[in-house]
Amino acid sequence: MELYALLKVIWWLILGVLLAGLAVMVGMDMGIGAALRYFGRTDGERRAVLNMIGPHWDGNQVWFILGGGAVFAAWPMIYATAFSGLYVVMLLLLWSMIVRPLGFEYRSKLPSPVWRSTWDWGLCVSGLLPMVIFGAAIGNMLLGVPFHFNWRLESWYTGSFISLFNPFAILCGLMSLSLALYQGSAMVMNRGEGAVRTRASALGAVSGIMALVLFTAGGLWVARLPGYVVTAGDDPSGPAMPLHKTVAVTAGAWLHNFTAHPVLWLVPALTYVSVLAGTWALRRGWSHVAWWLGAAGWIGTIGTVGAAMFPFMMPSSSNPSQSLTVWDASSSQTTLLWMLGWTVVFVPIILTYTSWAFWVMRGKVTPERVEGDDHAY
Amino acid sequence: MHDLDAVLALSRWQFAVTALYHFLFVPLTLGMTFLLAAMETVYVTTGRQIYRDMAQFWGKLFGINFALGVATGLTMEFQFGTNWSQYSSFVGDVFGAPLAIEGLMAFFLESTFVGLMFFGWDRMSRGKHLLVTYMVALGSNLSALWILIGNGFMQSPHGAVFDPATMRMELTSFSNLIFNHDAQAKFVHTSIAGYVTAAVFVAGISGWYMLHRRHMELAKRSFRMAVLFGVFASVGVISLGDALGFIDGTREPAKLVAMEAMWHTEQPPVAFNLIAFPSQKQQRNLYALRIPGLLTPLVTRTMDTVIPGADEVEKQAMERMRNGIPAVLALKTLSADPSDSGALAEFRKHQKDMGYALLLERYAPDLAAATPHDFRKAARDVIPDVAIVFWSFRVMVVAGFALLFYLGVATVCSLNNRVQDRRWLLKIAPWFIPVPYLACEAGWLVAEMGRQPWTVYGLLPTWLSVSTQSVGSMVFSLTGFVLIYSVFIVVEMYLMLKFIRRGPDNHVAAPLAH
Amino acid sequence: MIVLRMLLYSIITLVILVLVILLGQKGAWYFAWVLGTVMMVLIAAAGAALLDTQEESGRKQ
Repeated sequence: MELYALLKVIWWLILGVLLAGLAVMVGMDMGIGAALRYFGRTDGERRAVLNMIGPHWDGNQVWFILGGGAVFAAWPMIYATAFSGLYVVMLLLLWSMIVRPLGFEYRSKLPSPVWRSTWDWGLCVSGLLPMVIFGAAIGNMLLGVPFHFNWRLESWYTGSFISLFNPFAILCGLMSLSLALYQGSAMVMNRGEGAVRTRASALGAVSGIMALVLFTAGGLWVARLPGYVVTAGDDPSGPAMPLHKTVAVTAGAWLHNFTAHPVLWLVPALTYVSVLAGTWALRRGWSHVAWWLGAAGWIGTIGTVGAAMFPFMMPSSSNPSQSLTVWDASSSQTTLLWMLGWTVVFVPIILTYTSWAFWVMRGKVTPERVEGDDHAY
Repeated sequence: MHDLDAVLALSRWQFAVTALYHFLFVPLTLGMTFLLAAMETVYVTTGRQIYRDMAQFWGKLFGINFALGVATGLTMEFQFGTNWSQYSSFVGDVFGAPLAIEGLMAFFLESTFVGLMFFGWDRMSRGKHLLVTYMVALGSNLSALWILIGNGFMQSPHGAVFDPATMRMELTSFSNLIFNHDAQAKFVHTSIAGYVTAAVFVAGISGWYMLHRRHMELAKRSFRMAVLFGVFASVGVISLGDALGFIDGTREPAKLVAMEAMWHTEQPPVAFNLIAFPSQKQQRNLYALRIPGLLTPLVTRTMDTVIPGADEVEKQAMERMRNGIPAVLALKTLSADPSDSGALAEFRKHQKDMGYALLLERYAPDLAAATPHDFRKAARDVIPDVAIVFWSFRVMVVAGFALLFYLGVATVCSLNNRVQDRRWLLKIAPWFIPVPYLACEAGWLVAEMGRQPWTVYGLLPTWLSVSTQSVGSMVFSLTGFVLIYSVFIVVEMYLMLKFIRRGPDNHVAAPLAH
Repeated sequence: MIVLRMLLYSIITLVILVLVILLGQKGAWYFAWVLGTVMMVLIAAAGAALLDTQEESGRKQ
């Protein structure tokens, strides 16, 4: 394999890793935000729950920012086409996400119950909506999005806003929300005590099962969906130019990679095994184990979508031959190489200090402890 | 319906509004983090509790500001894709890299450690907490570094070349991208402008406390540290601003035309327009107060270099448009058939002026049939809005010198340890808080309005950078931003003022009222 | 004593300031930023320490 083609594959894998990081870390925070009013019934309990992720939500959110930045740097055409095409959805995502920092920082600054309750609802929406939109976005990638390019690669989106919320996309959205609730519950159990912990255990188990049901339904659905196959052109080491290939649309084509390489079935199997085992672990109270199993469940889920679609990244339903693939939507070799260097150096450093931050803040967070702490949210 | 003019105008407004709004929160973050680190350094080295109280109190105000900085920063990352997708795919190979590195190197550092800074006071040793605070300061300034490297490329594109095979700019030299002079000077200028902002903020509030004889010990020390920090920073801002003006003057002649309202090329040494009322339509200054012979040495460091005025810049632009047309036509052929070697040779010959032909394309969609009238219209576009750039520049410069003067006087008073008795100084201190903000915003207007009509100077016109959105979507998003951002600023100001009034004695989050 | 110390600080500051401006003209701006930031933080910290000394000597008198 030539260096350029290899770099494209590596960056496709890195994108998967970043998406998994985003799903696990941001998903956990959003799951907690979405179910904040359920986990905590009293103000003290809610503050305790918020402070479990208080020191970490900002760092976790960088997985999302880095995900966006990495798509921009390594897959600029996908960044440009997806963000502009899904304009209204992106804005809803953005607007719900920008409430979150303020929710964390401002909520407990004033004693008024109305003030706090308003921010609690804000945190709920800014946890729930983004997770549904993330899932729905992935769902729409599997369906294909109606866009095309003109001669100078200006992208035109021809679908409607409402069509992005089709039943399949909503199913994917609910699946992602379920996993987020699971991950959030595991975290609340890690750091919570008493009634809060009991509630988290119940919600975690329900959402784990929900995730598996939705994952199965989604899988059966995908098997019947029209998938995309490159029939000519698209040289793996060719320049990033999506206008010179032909693509066919065939029902069930998203399973072709699995039939060609049966070993790939291990990827969805990972989701089943880890979420099932994780749900069991949650009920047994082994929430730390359940948290890591949830992370594995996310990796399996994102990996399954990636394995089904490869080499497609953003198929076009209105002009399939202009779909964006791993081979024709990446950055130049120079950029991919430089960015790989930066990633190899910095990701281990990031993982090190993030782990240190979690270790420093380890231990139970209780309402009493929050009341006594000057710096708590 | 796709109405380019309306979508372009609305997209520019949206970006301007959200970027200027975002930059209301950035400068304080850039400077306050280092001030907090300085306060904590004194705490750790001397062990005096008061410095810990200071770091915690100012940290609280920093937190209120920081949350909005984070929130509105997200918007900026989205908008390159949502509203400027053509720009993003045209320069993503170059511009995306600093943005991603910003995440890797800076945001993770800043955001992970800011949590520990707020929550970790009792969880680690003093030394470790101090290190954490320094990491936050370093992280926030490094993020400014990387985004300004991106901006530097837009002002003065180095380290990349257009590749007809992929229809975009491709990175050729990473070090040219990073060590771009515009990026370097702009980073230092912006970062320490943040220091000044934070210094004036802390000094203003401390002054107000001293005026009301509240928290004297804390206020005196905060004032001293802030003004010392700020006075050197303001020297740096002015020195780097001068360097930046010099760089932009040589690389972006049209920006210099607008900054100095120079409509005509004159015999050097040229007079400096102290005050002018420029008319874009008539291409002249309706009124100008001029200092003879000052401009040439100021911007060229010589007495005899000719500075091109608007007339000369337009003439050169027209020449380049004419020369660039074959490049765009060849590019269209190459898009359909990349193996056409004749078209490729033709493209290479005219490549350097392609951007100017793209500028013309706005008025002449069929470039081969462009009329002299189209050329004139496009050439007029090459000059940015002179009145806005000219006056923003003057606001920034006046504010900069006013701040230097104020901080200098304040430093002297503070070093004499008499500041608590200088009531006039304490009275004006809070009124200086808005001045650096005004200067920062004006500075961005100069930088970005002054670069028009380009997003990437000389290469990609703004009109070709915008996404293909409908007017309806644009109205929807702009309305949404205005509504949400208005609520945010009210909430932020309310909390900020409340916590300033409450002061440092009571910084415990209150239990829920019943 | 205090005057002497202040004089010392000012001289150090001036030297560094001139250095920073010279470097600024040369174009090594990133380096100037590192140097300048360290200097500003240290001077602010030194200024606070000086204030403590001033207060103490004021109280003694």
